[in-house]
Amino acid sequence: MGKKKRGHPDVEELLERPWCYYCERDFEDLKLLISHQKAKHFKCERCGKRLNTAGGLSVHMNQVHKESLSSVENALPNRQGLDIEIFGMEGVPEDVLQQHNQRIIQNFYTAQAERQAATGNPPRGNSGGQGPTKKIKIETPEELKKRLAEHRAKVAAQKAAAANGTPLPVTAPADGQSPSQGASPFPPPQPGFPYSATPVTPYPPGGQGYPASTYPAGASVPPGASFGSLPARPPGGAAPPGAPSALPQRPPYAYNGSAPPAGFPAGGGVPSTVDELVASAAATGGRVPGGDDIDQLIRLAEAGIKPAKTDDATAAASGGEKKKKGMRMVYDDTDVSPEEKMALLPRYRWAEETAA
Amino acid sequence: MAPATQFEVSQPPTDAISALVFSPDAPNRLLVSSWDKHVYLYEVVDGSEQPQAQLVNKYEHRAPVLDVCFGAPSSNEAFSGGLDRQVKRIDLSTGDQTVLSKHSDAVRCVVYSPEHSLLISASWDSTLHVHNLSSPQSSPLVIPLPGKPHAVSISPSKLVVAMTARLVHIYDLPALLASSSSSSSPPQPWQTRESSLKFLTRAVACMPNDAGYATSSIEGRVAVEWFEDTPESQARKYAFKCHRQPAPEEEGGGDIVYPVNALAFHPVYGTFASGGGDATVALWDAEAKRRMRQYQKFPEGVAALSFSADGKYLAIGVCPGFETGMEDYNGQGRAHVLIRELGETEAKGKGSK
Repeated sequence: MGKKKRGHPDVEELLERPWCYYCERDFEDLKLLISHQKAKHFKCERCGKRLNTAGGLSVHMNQVHKESLSSVENALPNRQGLDIEIFGMEGVPEDVLQQHNQRIIQNFYTAQAERQAATGNPPRGNSGGQGPTKKIKIETPEELKKRLAEHRAKVAAQKAAAANGTPLPVTAPADGQSPSQGASPFPPPQPGFPYSATPVTPYPPGGQGYPASTYPAGASVPPGASFGSLPARPPGGAAPPGAPSALPQRPPYAYNGSAPPAGFPAGGGVPSTVDELVASAAATGGRVPGGDDIDQLIRLAEAGIKPAKTDDATAAASGGEKKKKGMRMVYDDTDVSPEEKMALLPRYRWAEETAA
Repeated sequence: MAPATQFEVSQPPTDAISALVFSPDAPNRLLVSSWDKHVYLYEVVDGSEQPQAQLVNKYEHRAPVLDVCFGAPSSNEAFSGGLDRQVKRIDLSTGDQTVLSKHSDAVRCVVYSPEHSLLISASWDSTLHVHNLSSPQSSPLVIPLPGKPHAVSISPSKLVVAMTARLVHIYDLPALLASSSSSSSPPQPWQTRESSLKFLTRAVACMPNDAGYATSSIEGRVAVEWFEDTPESQARKYAFKCHRQPAPEEEGGGDIVYPVNALAFHPVYGTFASGGGDATVALWDAEAKRRMRQYQKFPEGVAALSFSADGKYLAIGVCPGFETGMEDYNGQGRAHVLIRELGETEAKGKGSK
């Protein structure tokens, strides 16, 4: 049942899908649509014969069952008419077609915006089909300071270690993976900002995502945000098992006691969410985040990210579904049943004294 | 697919329909109670090219009749209750009526358990009367209820009473039978539950396999629950929305929500039908949690539903609902009883996946 999960098709693909005039459902191909229409809308309810069109069904009902067909079954309220001859996609009035396309486009962009708000992903195509930049979060000044202190401690430890002659097995790969980090205490451009700011604003239809300049392919990815570097990590090190995947980008010597851990802040700072993602992705089989796994990643992200963020994301996501529309109850007395009210009407009322 | 046809009974009740029920042993006998102060007995005549339902007899009452049920198999008797507060036994062949007990307010529901030969009547005086028909001389056992009963349903071993304030009491029939013979204190319910639906309960129907029941409310919703009081069974219960229509956009959109007036389980397949104020009947597969089909709109709201014992027919009582806000309500001449002959597999569920 339901649509096949196939990543997220782009808008052209969605617009090309054949769809049913009567119920607005869309289908993989025209054959399916036609068989849907025959089964759902053009089937004779008396004998089960499947006709090709509403007109055909009407004639059939007339001739075989001597009944007249008044409306198309299972159709949307404004599409039940028999006056329009529909077969597959043929016969759909131009204005309805336009309306449908509009709706598809709008749904596509709202869904895309919601997805981005939930995942922090750039739109497809801008990140080369990969999703390595999830959950980059704005750092508060405190966190920045913390990180700075951390880094200084690290550099100091590095120096001390070098002075002591301790081998530094992991430094090279760590540096290799993010060259910018080696040069300055911080990844200079703070690329997190443009990302975390944009998902909140509604996605402009037509505009294909973020300006490419803010994200020069991989070079200025904040440390730890890159999945690609993970396999390159030397497996050994003195780090306790499990720790490397939890806090991947810290050079392992920080753990082995040669340097005081200058604070792995409780919250974990920037990388924590991504790291958790990596960890859980690795736990589920180490699949590379690709288009097909994106849904799973989103779920993981929702489960793994910090509470505040989760709330925001889920609130944003569920906001669309839980649109509390005004509903009107035909009968809304929750204490007295309709029968009791009927029983009080003069025409039905029973008076005991009239009884014999 | 076998043909599915629908036909109307001749000489339908002249006013709103309160209940209709197929005989549990003769699949072609149908009783209908009406606000026109009569109980009607119809017989479906099959065999000819066009099946028909003919009026066999009608039984006059002093006041509108709210419910009717068949009595013991092959005894040719029925029981009725209505606004005149009496629970009556009707001899269907002679038309003789005998008063079995008297409530202090209108009798809303009557149900008969052939397994235990118990007749239970529920009245707006917030009591149940349990009549042990195997000892006709004994006076009925009176069970006080915490609220007015609105719907009652019976399964082979259980009795489910839905009341105001979303109360649901489930009684164990063997226990009721035991206490009806001994004159001890009124028996306690086997289980007391709060309805899973937030609004006034409209209808209750027990599953034919004695596993659970379905309830419906005035707020277009149906809940399915199981008797067994284990966490696993209770976790299986669910509720869903139905019998709603989108309101036109110019009226502010949203949904128009209709009461679900009637529920009936298919005796063979265990699927069930719901009928609502929106004049539609839907067939549901409780196991697969799917709607199997929805029939085209009827001329008026659906008031009552019943499957025949062999599951071949579905009787649909159609009349304007009181809730439609009719000024000076009058169902006269607008009540119909439709009988749908179901195709072989029409009501068969696909089973859960």
